[in-house]
Amino acid sequence: MSHLLKNKNLEIAKIYDYVSMCTHCGNCKYGYEYGPDANFAAMLCVQGDKFNFDSYRGSRGKVSLARSLMHNRIGFSDAVAHVLFTCTGCGACQQMCETDIKPYILRMFEALRADAWKQNVKIPANIKAWSDTIGKNYNPYKEKHEKRLDWIPSSIKSSLPKKAEYIYFVGCTASYRQKEVALATVRLLQKLKVDFTIVDDEWCCASPLLRTGQYDTAKDFVEHNSALPDKYKASAFITTCSGCYRTLSRDYKMDAPEGYADKYGKNLPNTKVLHTTQLVEEMMNKGEIEFTGKFAQKVTYHDPCHLGRHAEVYDAPRNILKKVPGLEFVEMYRNKKFSFCCGAGGGVRGGFADYSLETATKRVKEAEATGAQVLTSACPFCYTNLHDAIEMNKSPLKFEDIIQIIEPIVKRK
Amino acid sequence: MPDYVVMPKTVTEIQRVLRLANHRKIPVIPYCNGTNIGGLCVPEEGGIIMDLKRMDQIIKIDPETCYAVIEPGVSHAAFSAALKASNPQWKGNEFSKGFDFGWGVHPASASVLAMAINHGIGHLNGRIGINSQLLTGMEVVLPTGEVCKLGSCAYSDSWHSYLPLPRMDGLFTGWLGTTGIVTKLGMWIFPIRPFKDVCTIAAASADDITKYMVHWRHYSLCDEVTAVSWWLAQVPIVFPYREKPKDAPEFYSYTVLTGWTQEEIDYKKKMWKQVVAQERAKGTKLIDFEYPPEAKKGRTELPSRIVGSTKNYSKSCGGGIAWPGTFAPCKSWPILYEKWKEIYIRHGLSPATRFTDYQGAHYGMLRCMTPFNKRDPASVQAARDAMVECVRAGIPEGMLPYKPPVEYQNELNAVADAGYLYLTAKIKDMLDPNNILNPGKLGVR
Repeated sequence: MSHLLKNKNLEIAKIYDYVSMCTHCGNCKYGYEYGPDANFAAMLCVQGDKFNFDSYRGSRGKVSLARSLMHNRIGFSDAVAHVLFTCTGCGACQQMCETDIKPYILRMFEALRADAWKQNVKIPANIKAWSDTIGKNYNPYKEKHEKRLDWIPSSIKSSLPKKAEYIYFVGCTASYRQKEVALATVRLLQKLKVDFTIVDDEWCCASPLLRTGQYDTAKDFVEHNSALPDKYKASAFITTCSGCYRTLSRDYKMDAPEGYADKYGKNLPNTKVLHTTQLVEEMMNKGEIEFTGKFAQKVTYHDPCHLGRHAEVYDAPRNILKKVPGLEFVEMYRNKKFSFCCGAGGGVRGGFADYSLETATKRVKEAEATGAQVLTSACPFCYTNLHDAIEMNKSPLKFEDIIQIIEPIVKRK
Repeated sequence: MPDYVVMPKTVTEIQRVLRLANHRKIPVIPYCNGTNIGGLCVPEEGGIIMDLKRMDQIIKIDPETCYAVIEPGVSHAAFSAALKASNPQWKGNEFSKGFDFGWGVHPASASVLAMAINHGIGHLNGRIGINSQLLTGMEVVLPTGEVCKLGSCAYSDSWHSYLPLPRMDGLFTGWLGTTGIVTKLGMWIFPIRPFKDVCTIAAASADDITKYMVHWRHYSLCDEVTAVSWWLAQVPIVFPYREKPKDAPEFYSYTVLTGWTQEEIDYKKKMWKQVVAQERAKGTKLIDFEYPPEAKKGRTELPSRIVGSTKNYSKSCGGGIAWPGTFAPCKSWPILYEKWKEIYIRHGLSPATRFTDYQGAHYGMLRCMTPFNKRDPASVQAARDAMVECVRAGIPEGMLPYKPPVEYQNELNAVADAGYLYLTAKIKDMLDPNNILNPGKLGVR
């Protein structure tokens, strides 16, 4: 650690050696690809697109903030907190970065937020509100934990085994908000004869806590959920939520900077974590799935940041969609690693609802421009924001999760 | 540190800010993306940062007259994508996919306008000169708030050329943002040539590589010819300094050939081989070497994240990168290289030097990439001292730093012609009577 640093007690100080490797080149501020087969240029940073001011744009601005905070050139303030908490953590800047800070960029954002919590600054009110109750409810929606499985029809609930190969990790958004996605997932898994169960002591995966820098609170959640596979003799988690997928597969398991093993230990060492699209693709490739109907619509796919840029799962959902009979697949201009966030992540949906929906509206307009009838994705949280933006803008688009598209028209061979 | 930041969207808003700044005598520093390595956007006396990135429109691409008009916030990424998507047509026959501009070593987000008006360099240097030689017209807001158009655009909506009018654009190019806020810029663009190749050769000394480069450039057949020292050819640059292997060449050179047919490329390669053979016959020690495929890709697919990235320069050194970048007559390259090498090694730094020829072998770039550990004050100071020493050593040999930080400007002013400095100050005073625009950068006001 450099002797130049004056503020060594900050969380950011622990990774400052990496943060300081930013060369301030600015590649993080704009999406770009060039070559004989590529000609792409577009703004990818939702925060920069909205606020423009350099501190908001890409990771370079946040590095400057980190350096200034570390050196006591500036102090934490409401203005600094606004910069930190309006980032959706979509990872577009990380995707563009070519320097040694690259793997630490998202970790840096979360560390800065962790430090902000300890200062007398304006944390977005709604984040504070769910933060106050998550330790009791085990979800960020301020809903009672006892109601977590209320979405499951009793007929299905009674058919679930006590122990199974897979635990379907439903996640908070599908459990309390987008219940139809959870139901479609259960129906799909049953149709595909997957050996799975759902557990009533599932807690929030801790994604909202980690993404907003609430490290201490997250600890209990990580430890609790990590014990579930042994308890139910399961060898894998399967989830339809991209946020849960990223958290369980990376934050629980991996060393820094990809995960939080440095804080919570290496969890789930013997447990596979699969996104539902990965399982379906694998079964399709093995010839275990048969289509029983068509989906005769033009469909475009939105990459959830937590599944795409964070976990590099780009192809599985696309490969599935391309095999659906009757479905005409079309890409948006910004896709895969150059996707544009729906605007919900990183606590932004809760903390800054208007800005979050404004971002989702930009994405919906981009989807409309493809001529698609259906906008799909693979994340209940993206579902929430994009669906709301469609309704708010009276868009002709219809939103359906990818699982909702395939569930009615597949069966196990 | 600035005291304020404003983000105008229109020329009118710029005018209003400048009028207020004049009234209150507040410095105004034009800013687009803050990627200039000489710190041109760092306020010397506080004041208002005028962030122009919201003015990001590509106003016009004229495929027949081959020019484009852009605002200051247009990034290289956006401009290159728009140019590549434009198909020049000639009498109904498509002959090229898109247009080129001079893409340099810079991040994709950097401002095209800011780079061009500050004599930025690009990959077409060898063929058509540096980017400020490609300008065709501009709209500029004077420090006192008046708006002027310069060039053919002052008379019509055609932005094709400054000529035959008096070259008043010279009042705003190379002035480091101290004489006006350029709000629109016209510039020539060039159809992308479909055939490309790269020829490479190495040499045992700066003297030998310079002989080859100057000879080759006299034929004006390449888009670019560049040489880098062994230390710059390493990825990342060697930091701190260590000796190069005894059997390794001192310099590696590449030259980029482009053409409309493979026959054209073959002819240029034949001529290049002839130059190499003739130089060898004269005793110039040239060494064959193969360019790595990734490097070749970077040179023929510009603008490129590979070339525009700073990773090759600063990886594992501590994140700091700077350079004394200069325009110098080619014949002084070997002389200055030996001087710079001694200075850099004395400061524990690698002489990671680059020569690039500009149009017609008259002069070219000489610069030394300087990684440093920005967490270590001694490392920062060593880099700073080495670079200033290099500038001091170079000026008598005809070398002039481009986009110079104030430290370099002071070195220049100390030996400048008195009349030149007098005229510089007089023009600055005339255009900017309250000295509000980026004060201190020229070292005269």
